[in-house]
Amino acid sequence: MPDERPSDESRAQAARPPQLAPEERAPRGPSPSIDATAERDPDDVLAAQEKSAVEALEATGRPESARSLSSDAWHDLRRNPVFLISALLILFLIVIAIWPGLIATRDPLYCRLGRAYEEPSAGHWFGFDNQGCDVYTRTVYGARASIAVGVCATLGVTLLGAVVGGLAGYFSRFWDPVLSRTTDIFFAIPMVLGAIVFLSMIKLGSIWPVVLVITVLGWPQIARIARGAVLSAKQNDYVHAARALGAGNTRILLRHILPNAIAPVIVMATIMLGTFIVLEATLSFLGVGLRPPTVSWGVDISAASDGMKFRNAPHILLYPAAALSLTVLAFIMMGDAVRDALDPKLR
Amino acid sequence: MGRYIIRRLLQMIPVFIGATFLIFVMVYALGDPVGALFGDRAPDPATAARLRAEFNLDKPLYQQYLLYMRDIFTGDFGTAFNGRPVTELMADAFPVSFRLMLVALAFEIVFGIVLGVVSGLRRGRAVDTTVLMFTLVVIAIPTFVLGTTLQFFLGVELAWIDPAVSPDARFSELIVPGLILAMVSLAYVTRLTRTSVVENLRADYIRTAVAKGLPRLRVTVRHLLRNSLIPVVTYLGADIGTLMAGAIVTERIFNIQGVGYQLFQGIVRQNSPTVVGFVTVLVLIFLLANLLVDLGYAVLDPRIRYA
Amino acid sequence: MSQQTERAAAPLLQVRDLRIEFRTRDGIARAVNGVSYTVEAGETLAVLGESGSGKSVTAQAVMGILDMPPGRITGGRILFRGRDLLAMAEEERRKIRGDRIAMIFQDALSSLNPVLSVGYQLAEMFRVHRGMSRGEARARAVELMDRVRIPAARERVNDYPHQFSGGMRQRIMIAMALALEPDLIIADEPTTALDVTVQAQVMDLLAELRREYRMGLILITHDLGVVADVADRIAVMYAGRVIENAPVADLYASPAHPYTKGLLDSVPRLDHKGGELYAIKGLPPSLMAIPSGCPFHPRCPQAQDICRTDRPPLYPVGPGRTSACHFWKETLDAASAADLAR
Repeated sequence: MPDERPSDESRAQAARPPQLAPEERAPRGPSPSIDATAERDPDDVLAAQEKSAVEALEATGRPESARSLSSDAWHDLRRNPVFLISALLILFLIVIAIWPGLIATRDPLYCRLGRAYEEPSAGHWFGFDNQGCDVYTRTVYGARASIAVGVCATLGVTLLGAVVGGLAGYFSRFWDPVLSRTTDIFFAIPMVLGAIVFLSMIKLGSIWPVVLVITVLGWPQIARIARGAVLSAKQNDYVHAARALGAGNTRILLRHILPNAIAPVIVMATIMLGTFIVLEATLSFLGVGLRPPTVSWGVDISAASDGMKFRNAPHILLYPAAALSLTVLAFIMMGDAVRDALDPKLR
Repeated sequence: MGRYIIRRLLQMIPVFIGATFLIFVMVYALGDPVGALFGDRAPDPATAARLRAEFNLDKPLYQQYLLYMRDIFTGDFGTAFNGRPVTELMADAFPVSFRLMLVALAFEIVFGIVLGVVSGLRRGRAVDTTVLMFTLVVIAIPTFVLGTTLQFFLGVELAWIDPAVSPDARFSELIVPGLILAMVSLAYVTRLTRTSVVENLRADYIRTAVAKGLPRLRVTVRHLLRNSLIPVVTYLGADIGTLMAGAIVTERIFNIQGVGYQLFQGIVRQNSPTVVGFVTVLVLIFLLANLLVDLGYAVLDPRIRYA
Repeated sequence: MSQQTERAAAPLLQVRDLRIEFRTRDGIARAVNGVSYTVEAGETLAVLGESGSGKSVTAQAVMGILDMPPGRITGGRILFRGRDLLAMAEEERRKIRGDRIAMIFQDALSSLNPVLSVGYQLAEMFRVHRGMSRGEARARAVELMDRVRIPAARERVNDYPHQFSGGMRQRIMIAMALALEPDLIIADEPTTALDVTVQAQVMDLLAELRREYRMGLILITHDLGVVADVADRIAVMYAGRVIENAPVADLYASPAHPYTKGLLDSVPRLDHKGGELYAIKGLPPSLMAIPSGCPFHPRCPQAQDICRTDRPPLYPVGPGRTSACHFWKETLDAASAADLAR
């Protein structure tokens, strides 16, 4: 009987039989496995290994006989168009979020009601919204708030989740049940619901309440992943070896476990970043997220999400919505690409 | 099995208390329930104090919570902003949201699983890439954008559906809202199914099944799907709770008078009994759905059942 | 009539010049490069080789369970009772799989379906290939479990794979392979995953049942100890080729290929106690870049210039013996001399 409700990940794990790599199914370079003919020079094992390695290189003519997982993943990523496109897009978005003036010279708050709903035209490529503000300028400036919410919330969620989950996984005997119940509590409160309740009570104009509520309600997801990753990294022989050699908990955690457990957390965080941007827009739509005069995609999209406005001027919804969706897409695709690269099983 | 159920039920208790307390704190400690009663007018201090005493608001927070829980377990959820008992609102709202949830769940099961299985079996082909792209786009576009545009096109431009759902909320009216509600989960179900199918396709026991000379259909249905759908079924079960609570956006767009609608009204009008009451019941539904998932999981996977 | 006799005369299984490639991200891996071997009815052929020698890939091709892609059969024939399996329609081939040719896998825990009872998985053979009813097939499953000596078969028929011990699970794999009394069984390292004490029991059971049913057996292994007891012939594989093929006694007495000799010498022996263990130097070659000439030449102590340039064919070495070494004679003589000296 499982001690606690298994997470979706661990369920998927359990549903899959333990895979002993069946030999020869997919040959990839020289096999490192040791058979009947393994090197067994009792006098100088190292020298023999070195020698045989050199010979193997001569025999194969390949510069590297085995690549580490991370360099292997990087090798894959550099060739993956999905990764390259999403990475470039994200870079561009970050630049725009920091210096929107680079590509938009007008003031996003300068509006003239007289030009409301005007169609796109030269100099005003995206047209004007219901307030007569320039949609292009607002879309460019909106990146800052939306991405800031996404990035800050992700940072908060990841730090909190990774620390709590990591410690719970490492000191599992006592903390595991505590963490499991705590995450269960937060899981029991749906994100949108909790956020609405919280935000309707706190009325501040800035992005920080939104960031705070996402962090508070979102961390258990990361915590579960971090816990699982640490639990499995802890089982590795080199961790036992490090402990046997007298390494302290801090050293083991930072030097041996962190590098091995961080990858799934980063992947999850990248994907979550995208969903947080959507969440911000949704909260704005419900009237509890960011509010004007803050310029954000969420604010503009929700202002435009109204049947009549849509009929008269579809462009005021289209452009900010497309910008937001592209951003979210970029983050999710990057997370996907990184995960695929790190998990060769799914190739 | 019996002990397993009992243990899971016992584990639910602290979770239930924790979640409801959290919501209770948010609503009663951060908000001002008495102030909200008066709307924009400044309340007369004497009246406010009397009301505070009446609603136990002058007591420490944990006592308020205990008193509230006592009331709830005697069936008294308090009064909504319009003077009706909250339980009456619930009796109206929950069946509506439940029907909406069923429609959404049906979409997820039918389309999510079919798309996931097809793309998993055709991994790397055009079908797979298209389906994956579709799921990403669905996740990337906020539900309310999809909802409002679809409502506009189908309800206003083409007039195929009524843009607003009547208070009866018949199944036929809930098809489009159900689809909108299901969209994001549908994308996740598709991706989960695909991943699961891809992983199981490489499993040794599939190779065994082929080596046994079983027909392809039998290998796919009996061996591959039977294993691949275990995580999907558990996801769907857990999603029941999310769909009930996550319908706030959809219900608002289509003016469906379900749980999300009432909850939203409660929040906007700062009616604490409505908010806490509805959330409490939602948490309870969520926990029960998860219990069902765990039991279903044990039924589907003998390794859990006999472990 | 003539076809009938031809069939009867044809060997049970003939692999002829089989070639298989894998497309990988780093290039094409040539896993099997012209493998040929023959199994007569009732004979046990041991296929010996290191990981990556192509022994399992060849078996998977015979079985028709090669992952394609990334795998691809680029040449050769696989004749079962004279009929080319590779030229058959998939449906026809499926009917042979499991029925006439069955396979036993290395890791029974992952090779059995975790969510179906062992009884179901055994009964499935009878239901699919023989069209038996549920009850009839279930009864046969219990019988089978009895045959492979699983205690209390009747009570355990509804249990799941994870509820059995490793040895019992492998017995179930064997039962599944034997179910329809096939003509040929391919056992891919059937005892590698088991405890040493259980290995012998399972191997003995397999050998005994093979004799009883008079089946052909291909035993894929890297364990020379297992081979000596059960095999009639041995095919030694290296870098996707058979480099020596001989009756088991001949090969043990006097190997005709330096690689085989190296393998035999690296087995720890009681009479050599205290002496240094022999090891073949170097590593098996990468399948992406198989050395020119004789693929073993970079590791061979007897390599000459010709070995670097000319690929040795399979020289007939003696009755029913072949060796792919230019200097098979020297190797053979040296081996015999050493044997005499001992």
